[in-house]
Amino acid sequence: MTTNEKLKIIIIQELNLEEITPEEIDDEAPLFGEGLGLDSLDAVELVVQIQKHFGVEIKDMEEGRLAFRSINTLGGFIEERRAA
Amino acid sequence: MQPNERQGPERPRTWTSRSIGSRFQHEIFYRLIRIGGRRLAYFMLHPVVSYYVLCRPSVRRKTHYYLRRRFPDGKSSARWVDSYRMLLKLGQVLADRASVGILGPREMRVELSGREKLLQLLGERRGLILLLSHAGSWQVALSALGFLNLPVNLLLDREPGDIDRQYFEHAGRSCPYRVIDPQGYLGGTLEMLQVLKKGEVLCLMGDRVFGSNRSYVKIDFLGAQAPFPISAFKLASAASVPVAVLFSYKTGIDRYELKIARIIRVPENLGRSGDAFRPYVSQFAAELEAFVQEHPYQFFNFYNMWQAHPASA
Repeated sequence: MTTNEKLKIIIIQELNLEEITPEEIDDEAPLFGEGLGLDSLDAVELVVQIQKHFGVEIKDMEEGRLAFRSINTLGGFIEERRAA
Repeated sequence: MQPNERQGPERPRTWTSRSIGSRFQHEIFYRLIRIGGRRLAYFMLHPVVSYYVLCRPSVRRKTHYYLRRRFPDGKSSARWVDSYRMLLKLGQVLADRASVGILGPREMRVELSGREKLLQLLGERRGLILLLSHAGSWQVALSALGFLNLPVNLLLDREPGDIDRQYFEHAGRSCPYRVIDPQGYLGGTLEMLQVLKKGEVLCLMGDRVFGSNRSYVKIDFLGAQAPFPISAFKLASAASVPVAVLFSYKTGIDRYELKIARIIRVPENLGRSGDAFRPYVSQFAAELEAFVQEHPYQFFNFYNMWQAHPASA
């Protein structure tokens, strides 16, 4: 399973997005607002879940701003940190 | 910032942070404080507050949302008096705040009840959320936290056109705490999480809802359901930090008391649902209710907290 696929499952399960399947999540769509429709409280939960499942910590806002654009950017961020 | 980088579906804001007074009126009071100190300002508050109560029904109405709940059996004649007392107390608190800035911190004696408890929490070295409210004077509370020797951060929303000055602005000093803007990226949540993870102090208001439709739960407050924000408790859960409910209230002409009313510990991994946070938000609401029972004229939310909202958490 790729990081992006695992991420989608985590987002659906941990953020209780029951009405959506992993296949329906566009890798390039924005995670917050108009895209996947997540909000600021989801961002807090996502930070926690990424640390729990991948052991990767999003330490500051700038990292978060870059990583949280889409599934692709978040997956890339996680892989980069795990490889370091 | 792109619009879609903001929070999710926004709920129309039902409150404003703007002062009801004009810039000119504020300046008059600042001058009165410089000339004759806080007591002269207090004296002049009586005609000003009388004007607002007698001649500005819109202002009087804003006090009634709360007063009707706090004094449900009150007669309408008594409500005029209650409005007067509430607005007078607000004026005094604002004059106190300006006095501290203009004349110096010695103008006010602040006693902290629960100092050891607070230091003990900070001794855990994992950050702390101070949950404040629009009761008494939260600015006085912040001005008295210098002994913490830790960076203090405050989520502060300042609307365009807000002419109200913070106490340090009167003295031309730099802001003694770091301000996090709730209009920033993702409502400032990542910044807040970051400061908590660094072991710093984060001050939040627990009595006004801001942000998305999922950001609150409705809790019984003064006999009816009112929305209270869950963000402080969500952050506490995510960062594994305690929440200290802090009230600051006026106890005399030149005295304030800071009181740590309750320590709330929120478990980790509570998930996304607002309902999971309801027991912790309820603890805060219960403390706030106890506070307004004891200090009925020191609660300064001049909007309908109990208003029905289009969505519920």
